[in-house]
Amino acid sequence: MSHLPQPSASNKARNKTPVFLPFLGSMNLAVTLLVMLAIASVIGTVLKQNELFQGYIIKFGPFWTQVFNELGLFNVYGAAWFILVLVFLLISTSVCVSRNGPGFLKDMKQYSEKLSLHAYQRQPHVVTYTPQQFDIEAAQLLLKDQGYKTKVHHREDGITIAGLKGSWNRLGYVFTHVSIIIICVGALMDSNLLLKYRELTGDLEAETRSVPLDKIPQKSWLGPENFSFRGTVNIAENQKSDVLFLPYEQGFLVQKLPFTIDVKDFRIEYYDTGMPKSFESDIILSAPDLKTPIEKTIAVNHPLSYKNYAIYQSSFSDGGSLLKLKVHSLKAPENKPLILNTAVDKTESLKTPLGTFKLELSDFKMHNIVPASEEERAQTGKKMHNNGPTIIYKIRNDQGQALEYENYMMPIEQDGRLFFIAGMRSSQAEPFRYLFIPADSNRQLDRFFNFLALINNPIATKQVLEKALPSGQTLEQSGYRMQIRLLTQLMALVRQKGFNGINDFVKQNVPEPDQQKVLDYYTAQTSVALQTLYLDVLEQEKDQNLTDISDFNKQWFDDAITSLGNLPDYGPPLFIQLNSFKQIEATGLQITKSPGKDVVYFGSALLIIGVFFLFYVRQKRIWLAYSASDHTLTIAGKDTKELPEVAQEFQKVVQAVQSKLKVKK
Amino acid sequence: MNTINSTFEMTPDKKRFSINDSIWALFVIAGAFYAWLSFGHIMDAYEDGILVGSAIGLIMLGRFWPSAKTLSYAVATLSLFALWTYAQHNNQISANEQAFFLKFLISSQSAFMWMSALFVLSTLGYFAGLFFKSDFTAKIASVLAWSGATFGLVGMMVRWRESYLINPEYGHIPVSSLYEVFILFAVLTTLMYLYYEQKIRTRSMGGFVMLIVSAAVGFLLWYTFDRGAHEIQPLVPALKSYWMKIHVPANFIGYGGFSIAAMVGLAYVLTEKIQTKNPQSRFLRAMPSLESMDDLMYKTIALGFAFFTIATVLGAMWAAEAWGGYWSWDPKETWALIVWLNYAAWLHIRMSKGWRGRPMALWAVIGLVVTVFAFLGVNMFLSGLHSYGEL
Ligand code: HEM
Repeated sequence: MSHLPQPSASNKARNKTPVFLPFLGSMNLAVTLLVMLAIASVIGTVLKQNELFQGYIIKFGPFWTQVFNELGLFNVYGAAWFILVLVFLLISTSVCVSRNGPGFLKDMKQYSEKLSLHAYQRQPHVVTYTPQQFDIEAAQLLLKDQGYKTKVHHREDGITIAGLKGSWNRLGYVFTHVSIIIICVGALMDSNLLLKYRELTGDLEAETRSVPLDKIPQKSWLGPENFSFRGTVNIAENQKSDVLFLPYEQGFLVQKLPFTIDVKDFRIEYYDTGMPKSFESDIILSAPDLKTPIEKTIAVNHPLSYKNYAIYQSSFSDGGSLLKLKVHSLKAPENKPLILNTAVDKTESLKTPLGTFKLELSDFKMHNIVPASEEERAQTGKKMHNNGPTIIYKIRNDQGQALEYENYMMPIEQDGRLFFIAGMRSSQAEPFRYLFIPADSNRQLDRFFNFLALINNPIATKQVLEKALPSGQTLEQSGYRMQIRLLTQLMALVRQKGFNGINDFVKQNVPEPDQQKVLDYYTAQTSVALQTLYLDVLEQEKDQNLTDISDFNKQWFDDAITSLGNLPDYGPPLFIQLNSFKQIEATGLQITKSPGKDVVYFGSALLIIGVFFLFYVRQKRIWLAYSASDHTLTIAGKDTKELPEVAQEFQKVVQAVQSKLKVKK
Repeated sequence: MNTINSTFEMTPDKKRFSINDSIWALFVIAGAFYAWLSFGHIMDAYEDGILVGSAIGLIMLGRFWPSAKTLSYAVATLSLFALWTYAQHNNQISANEQAFFLKFLISSQSAFMWMSALFVLSTLGYFAGLFFKSDFTAKIASVLAWSGATFGLVGMMVRWRESYLINPEYGHIPVSSLYEVFILFAVLTTLMYLYYEQKIRTRSMGGFVMLIVSAAVGFLLWYTFDRGAHEIQPLVPALKSYWMKIHVPANFIGYGGFSIAAMVGLAYVLTEKIQTKNPQSRFLRAMPSLESMDDLMYKTIALGFAFFTIATVLGAMWAAEAWGGYWSWDPKETWALIVWLNYAAWLHIRMSKGWRGRPMALWAVIGLVVTVFAFLGVNMFLSGLHSYGEL
């Protein structure tokens, strides 16, 4: 069933124009394009877009990565073919509207009151009968009552009253389809087509390095005259900016703004569950043509509009918090950490006997909120727990290889004990693996690093062991010396290679059958030596009655040994402790200039109105054709859409007419 | 202009504003005014607008669909009773464990449980009515569906209040989490179906439609008992906006329409199959004609499409305010577009090729698969800005 009337005007046009116009305006093409767009969109959501190339190669292999890239599948919505489909949809809809629109609009006003009786007989719904009399006025009134507009035509052989209602349905078609065109135009206004063009002419080039503003070449800058843009900028508290960064291709462009944004403060507020409640920035916008600067607090869902710019709260980050760090060398024979005053985003050089390392401070987080443990939930009723501040940093060796670290400032409770937790990973793709260093009785790291320094110090180790195991008591002199030698050598192994050092030593130097026995013995002796050293550390602390060691100190020793065992896997022998900090936050603003927005909104409004006209207004026609020659009345009806209720409604009209203009008996 | 209704109106002559209608209008205005008196101080200008708009919408809905009045009276009475009971207990949320009526009937959690049970029973009832050719059973099923919808709406109203009782900072309309929108979906789909049930004067499709409502209930129960998703959580900053109040319901009228169309499509395919195999089957006599099912499919898709269009546009406007761009090709957005394009193609094919029946019915079923993915799958499998309600 085709609903497309073929107005004669378009028939004529068809003769003149080449065959592709009907094709362009055909619904087949429209449906094909709609389905193509849908499929392309599916690809765009299933395949992660605009990721790093390495990631794709790992996932798909070099061949398919190449193929997918050529097809533009990694940036579907910016791909030429995708834009082409959109453009075709635009053309197709335009052709469709320009071909059908005029006909439909004419149809809105057409009462078809001049058709012949014969033609009325051929309408989908007809009834013919002989009324008692035919009163034009009454019949017209009746149709008007039913909501029809009427038109009367006097034929040679009688009279026709034509009724028409719901002609807005036709307007619906025009509205919906024109709106698609308008929306596409608005979207194109906000797209980066212009930038693409400037790139093609060699006028523009994306910056891919991460360098300071003044090092960015002129080719990557855009002036305030740029027609439309959407970019982001991070501004630290008490800093200002008049530029914006637009992501473009694999890099970015710098957009100069015609105003300056000062950030006074950035705040995050939290619910009692630990979830963020609001992100807010106090900003001041000043521009040359503004007498007084605009001061406003913006928040998520509450942007600031200025002229045709809009400024949104979109993210936050660290703005270069000041950090005081303690750098512990894990190989030092003395516990004398280096004090380092630095800040987030800075890089520090650390000289160690094992070479120079770069310490890159990448982030500071004030709060680390995690789900609370079952017990804590039971105790405090809180679902979330705050683990406190962390620093995130990288340590890079002189070959450029880096490990990433995440250290908590405060000890965190695990199984009823407090630990300093330090995470390490070799690539962003891995989860952190954590080192658990037990906190001492002052909730500090001092005891651990004292203990470690003692182990690392061969002279002190020997002294402590000799003092603790006085000569000539139970062992003979030579035996005593042998034991001291064994213990110091075991400590040396531990110092150099960790606990595995002992293992390896036994494997290399002891014949196969005796290995287990010797290893057991050495392990026991290592334990003796470590306990001896530990007792010395406790003695130095002077708070421990050495005849009766507390459970806490016993447990601490076990935990410290576990931790020592894991140290060799911790990368370069450095431990960075966050001592104190001053937090400086940066707000992430998104700023847009989007001249197409209002166009799109206008189109959308038109679309909604049009859709309702299309679905919920039905164009209906009724004709009452009276024949003066044989006194019959022909009632005919036609709707644009043949729905099941049309017949019923037609019957109702017929009944109404018949009750008014009585049937002749 | 009264044309929007004309598709549905059997009598084209204009309806007079009866006494009944006046009472209804007064009732709605009084309710809206009471709401404004009680909560006006925490509402912004947009929310005032939404309140006025909702009142006008409800008055029109009641005039156009009389059963909506009865439903509203019932929901209002029960909800106010629940609020009053809370007030009697000093507005402590713990009252839902103490007060009898709250504990067993109309605290939001109890109301949802009643809703769930009633919807499942109603599904069974409709099918029983179909197989035993019992009009009476089908009628009972219909009553059960109405009661389920009532409890669902009461639950939502009360939950809205409860969110403020737990902590005024948490307070929000319950359409913000996956759990809450599933309830909205079940209720809206049922009500939309009940509307068509009255219009087409047959209950034989109830089982099919309520099947998908029951599926939603099944998910809801799993989500409650396995994941504890029913707990009232505060809103993330991105969702704290008046847009949510209109965007989400509009979306779910769309989803509801598409779901009904798909289930009717299923009934269509089944009926047609039985027709070719066994034209004398009793089942056939119970089902409406293929033509009317086809027509219902068209009407529900048209309704769904209209509201889905509104919802998508509203979503774009909200995105412009919250994220700084009306279109970001975020997965949820993109899938909304896919759903929309799919139904636009469906409507065009029906118009241009005049396709009817089986292929369109199957397409409607596939359409639902696409819709469900847009609704659930995106949250489960794709990450994006719409990060509410992950599973
Ligand atoms: C994104 C693009 C488009 C959308 C969203 C769209 C939407 C719609 C909708 C919703 C209908 C109403 C169907 C109904 O009443 O059941 C419709 C009808 C129609 N569309 Fe489109 N359309 C689009 C593009 C096109 C194109 C490119 C053509 C060109 C052939 C076209 C031709 C028509 C025609 C002729 C009708 C029938 C109008 C009538 O007789 O009532 N559409 N369209």
